[in-house]
Amino acid sequence: MPDFNVRSDSVNVEAIMEQIRERIREKRGVDYTEQQIRDLAAVKLEKFLDPKGVRSDLLDQFRKAQPAYEPPELPNFAFEDATLFESHRAPIRWLRKLLLPLLKLLFNPNPLIQALHIQSRLNTMNAEREARREASRRALDQLYYELIHNMVIETTRLGIEVKNLKMRLESVSSRLEFNERRARALESVVVYKAPEREEREERPAPRPQQSHRQSQQPSLSHGSPSRPAPVPMPSAAPPPPAPAPVPAAAATAPPEADASAQGAQAEGPGQRSRRRRRRRGRRGGASATAIMGAPGTAADASQPADASTPLDAADRDDEGGDEGTEFEPAKPAPIESLQRRPAELPPATEPVERVAESAGVIHPPSPPAEAPAAESTHEPPAGSDPDAQ
Amino acid sequence: MKVAIVVQRYGPAINGGAELHARYVAEHLARHGEVEVLTTCATDYVTWRNELTPGVETINGVQVRRFKVKHERDPLVFSKRSARVFQHRHSLGDELDWLDAEGPTSTALIDYVAKHAANYDYCVFFSYRYYHAYYGARGAGGRAVLVPTAERDASIGLSIFQPLFRSVRAIMYNSPEERAMIHAVSGNEQVPGVVVGIGSDVPNNPQPARFRQKHKIRGPFAVYVGRIDQNKGCAELFEYFRAYLADPAGKLSLILVGNSILPVPDHPRIRHLGFLDDADKFDAMAAADVLIMPSYYESLSMVALEAWALGRPVLANGKCDVLKGQCLRSNAGLYYETLGEFIGTLEAIEQNRWLAGTLGRNGRQFFREQYDWPVIERKYLEMFERLKKEPTARTADPLPGWFDRRRQNLPPAEEVLAALPKGPVGRRA
Repeated sequence: MPDFNVRSDSVNVEAIMEQIRERIREKRGVDYTEQQIRDLAAVKLEKFLDPKGVRSDLLDQFRKAQPAYEPPELPNFAFEDATLFESHRAPIRWLRKLLLPLLKLLFNPNPLIQALHIQSRLNTMNAEREARREASRRALDQLYYELIHNMVIETTRLGIEVKNLKMRLESVSSRLEFNERRARALESVVVYKAPEREEREERPAPRPQQSHRQSQQPSLSHGSPSRPAPVPMPSAAPPPPAPAPVPAAAATAPPEADASAQGAQAEGPGQRSRRRRRRRGRRGGASATAIMGAPGTAADASQPADASTPLDAADRDDEGGDEGTEFEPAKPAPIESLQRRPAELPPATEPVERVAESAGVIHPPSPPAEAPAAESTHEPPAGSDPDAQ
Repeated sequence: MKVAIVVQRYGPAINGGAELHARYVAEHLARHGEVEVLTTCATDYVTWRNELTPGVETINGVQVRRFKVKHERDPLVFSKRSARVFQHRHSLGDELDWLDAEGPTSTALIDYVAKHAANYDYCVFFSYRYYHAYYGARGAGGRAVLVPTAERDASIGLSIFQPLFRSVRAIMYNSPEERAMIHAVSGNEQVPGVVVGIGSDVPNNPQPARFRQKHKIRGPFAVYVGRIDQNKGCAELFEYFRAYLADPAGKLSLILVGNSILPVPDHPRIRHLGFLDDADKFDAMAAADVLIMPSYYESLSMVALEAWALGRPVLANGKCDVLKGQCLRSNAGLYYETLGEFIGTLEAIEQNRWLAGTLGRNGRQFFREQYDWPVIERKYLEMFERLKKEPTARTADPLPGWFDRRRQNLPPAEEVLAALPKGPVGRRA
């Protein structure tokens, strides 16, 4: 007769327990049993830590500092009941033995013998006790040394951990700072767009190249339908060197972009520097255009391929030291959506600022001090910004 | 059929596990034959003081014959002898002295069993570790059937009990874990044995609402039923439950039912109701969300079985092989070994109503199939029938002589215990 049967297929206690343990492990890391904790506590510290890196000879130094124990030569004597009557001369010994009864008639030597015998034993016991004490003290000292040794190792380990944590904290804070700067830079770009439109309207006769670039703005600001179809570009490909992007962009960009590039090449260095100064005076419009990915620029040509690149990817690229190469196309959608608003709204700066403020960032109408720094840190590829050429 | 039930204490007011077990078995077997209970006049298992009158009386239709205990237990002597045999190399004489110190030393009971064993078909001895079971089984010879109620404690490692396990006619085990442990320690696989356990008279219609109203209890709660004692794992339970309460997500309170010899923590969500009668106890279990069994040593948890009979899940201490094995075999309870597991399992039962309900249903089914009284009675009767057909071949070995008893050649019982296999027995046990 079977004693027990398995029933209930709907619940398996073992499986449930395994799930619960798994959840505990996920929540708290390894869940040690009491026995495991005891085992861990019993294991010596040296098993986990490498004392070589600290001062491995600390224990030896302690031991060396302690002088070797030499038991003192305490005077002692042996005293037995026949000691008083002993002699190396046999006749004298025999005579003393013979006259012992006579001696005992005169006085009782037994208490004297007993006292001296006891004293002798006391001396021996004291010496032994002293030796034991010294041994136990030295054993205790060894324990103290080991304790100090382990504490030094543990403190060192903690110091290293603290240092590591500090470094991680610094790294995280620098990344945070960088991200904040970048966010501010992007927001400042958004603010910049409306004044640029205003300025363009105010200026009746812009330079040919500038007017050409600005003529691309409506198509950009009115959305992607007028934008050229995205050209897939291998994102894993290394960024081309500075002169190389121009032909690459020309190959993929529309004719307007090509013309713009040619126009940029036709400019003299004086023109470029004057224009850069003017643009910086208007708070960095060139990089804004580049970041917006205005059609007709090399940056715009590379944008579609990277349009889907998430911001994290840009972060990763930034961390990798190739700063700016992937920065432009990073997270274009929100920028575009914010960028479109000035066109949809009346051409005043207030709504744009309100949009930026609603995004949680309050900034003055003038360009923030961080913006150039951000640009310099994440300068777009040389080929993507005509101003950079 | 005439059966003698020999147990250390007996009475309606005695609620010890083995004693209650014996009373239930006696009362249910009395429906199938003549049953007489042979017991002592003691009611206190610590002192074995004679508090009841010797002689014959009838309790719940069962004739009970009481015998005086020769001497009370001296706790100091018992403690010294326990330390001697459990922790040091010792002799057989030391173990017999330990047994004498443990009690209940009722020589009158032993003499009666030896003289009148032939008047019974079988003498069923409860609790192997006591004086009456060791000497009584020797006196009853081929009529002795043992219900060991063995726990995983050091006394199982004493050498005097190994011949006892080998010489009785049959053994009625409480759990597969108990059977495996006794097999391992004594090598008595040839002795007929069956895992029986015990049933319980659980009411068909418990009143959880009445319990809540009576004790003004609102909200979900976990219940512990039993003596509130450190040996029962209650100290660990309190520690773990306080940790559980530290998380505000936990909604369960803890209700304690039973006499306390351990201070109960002062916490608004831990309530001690004291000793309750059976009706209240079953109502409390029916009202509870889960029954917690924190004990480390159990041969069979009747409370857990009662909770299952009432359709309640059980959260057991996984360090107790028997409880863990019961949970695994029944699929009706979870178990914990660490604080993290305690909180995790309690939260799982508390938050997953489907799980709690399914565990409870499994428990009810498990109880019906394995521990309902018709099943228990049938197992006893089948065993008696089987023994009738089998010849009596085994006899108890005579005790060694004076010199052999004093030979210091027996290992400490704790060493023997440590060498025994651990862990719950598989489901197909």
